[in-house]
Amino acid sequence: MKRVYSNLSAALFAGVMALFGGMLAYDSAFAHGPTRQKVTETVTINAPADKVWAVMGNFQDMSWHPAIASTKGEGGNDKDAKRTLTLKGGGVIQEALIKHDPEKMLYKYEITDVDVKVLPVKNYSAMISVKGEGDKSKVTWKAAFYRGYMLNDPPPELNEAAAKKAVTGVLKSGLEALKKKLEGGS
Amino acid sequence: MIHAFVCRCFPIIKRFPLLPAMAFCMAGMAMAGGNGIETSIGKTEGAGASLLPTFMGEAVVTSQIADKVSIVDLHAMKVVGEIDVSGKPAGVAVSPDRTRAYVTTPQAGELVVIGFPSRKIMKRIKVGNGPVGVGVNPVSGVIYVADWYDHTLTVIDPVSLEVTGLVKVGKSPSGVAVTPDGKTVLTADRDSHSISVIDTQSLKRVRSITVGNRPFGLTIDARGKMAYTANVKSNDVSIVDIASGELVATVPVGRRPYGVALAGGYAFSSDQYASSVSVIDLKSRKVIKTIEVGEYPEGIVASPDGRFVYVACWDENTLMRIKVVGLAVDARVEVADGPRAFGAFLR
Repeated sequence: MKRVYSNLSAALFAGVMALFGGMLAYDSAFAHGPTRQKVTETVTINAPADKVWAVMGNFQDMSWHPAIASTKGEGGNDKDAKRTLTLKGGGVIQEALIKHDPEKMLYKYEITDVDVKVLPVKNYSAMISVKGEGDKSKVTWKAAFYRGYMLNDPPPELNEAAAKKAVTGVLKSGLEALKKKLEGGS
Repeated sequence: MIHAFVCRCFPIIKRFPLLPAMAFCMAGMAMAGGNGIETSIGKTEGAGASLLPTFMGEAVVTSQIADKVSIVDLHAMKVVGEIDVSGKPAGVAVSPDRTRAYVTTPQAGELVVIGFPSRKIMKRIKVGNGPVGVGVNPVSGVIYVADWYDHTLTVIDPVSLEVTGLVKVGKSPSGVAVTPDGKTVLTADRDSHSISVIDTQSLKRVRSITVGNRPFGLTIDARGKMAYTANVKSNDVSIVDIASGELVATVPVGRRPYGVALAGGYAFSSDQYASSVSVIDLKSRKVIKTIEVGEYPEGIVASPDGRFVYVACWDENTLMRIKVVGLAVDARVEVADGPRAFGAFLR
């Protein structure tokens, strides 16, 4: 009898859980799908634009970024060139060159593969450019991306805020280091 | 109900046979035959005012990041209004009589009905987990919403503004377009790499046609013969014969094409990563020109007279105008942050 009761209670519990689960699923109807985000960071560097471009304009060399341990790639600065960035903290990012324009001093690229544990983003593309402003120059780094979790109800580490924070960190620390390298060296 | 609608409205199409021919794309199609339903819809916004649907010369641009819809006067190329629409507005279509815009909000899971000229939200309709593309039947005014997560097409009656049907389609449907005769609705099923062909009367999916890799935007020509998909992953445009289900051509374009517009014997694809619009000559089915536009061009549509193509540039927050004669950008206007304008966004 007791056993039957416990079975019944288990069944009841399962039923309640199913109901609860159902409610959770229903709730997700009010949660949100991913929206593409944009982040732009800029820095003014006390150096002429061509000097800055000489440091950051080569797709195959990200050594100016403090988080990057090594850059390996193929295809130089041609369209569709590839590079693999190995991070100092571990992890790799695979990227492809979309466009490289030395005249305008800009290049555009996309991430073709990255673990969301390394960078919590999907469909990431970015452009980095430098423009002369008198004897100084302004570097602009723009990124467009989705959060790391493309289904509804992202866990907090893979939501929009987490993606924006991570990308902002990458861009900011990179530009600060670039400024330091160019201004410190002169 | 829908059946009665369609039957009631067909004679009007017959009376104005030129109307469908005016439709150059989804936007044009939304307009064609629109006078047929003026007694049924849009009573609140003076829908019955004119016998023929008049092009109002406005763009209804969904600015996703800003949670706004920007209204652009296309003659002056100036923003003349902004409507707060929460829920990250993305997809847009217009009622046949042009007195309403239907806007999807993927984050809220709703279809938002905006009335014109008041520019007020008339209703927010719960549709699903991930509404993206939206299309309007040019004959009946029925609204179709593609749901990215539910893999369905939701059917909404324009009079009651209630959901009246649900059609299972391929995976992650995005673009929606209806043939000018109102008989067929198509969805671009992004993750199935195909188009679903749905009969609007029976609401049966009668066919699925394989196209390029990850089709997103979808446009039907004025005759209702060919459909064009922008294939995000294979970087090309598929041209499909709707009746036979044959994939007629695959035309390589710039990186990450988003949508297609048709005007002047050309197809224009908005290539997000390439920041350009590829111009395909429809006779040779080759790209004859690449027009540089703003970063991340997305929603793209032709004016009903085919003189201009408008493209929303997501990253630059601009709406650009391409003059079809000369194939060059001749005007631009700044809009609210993150314009996507996915669909037939002119009214």
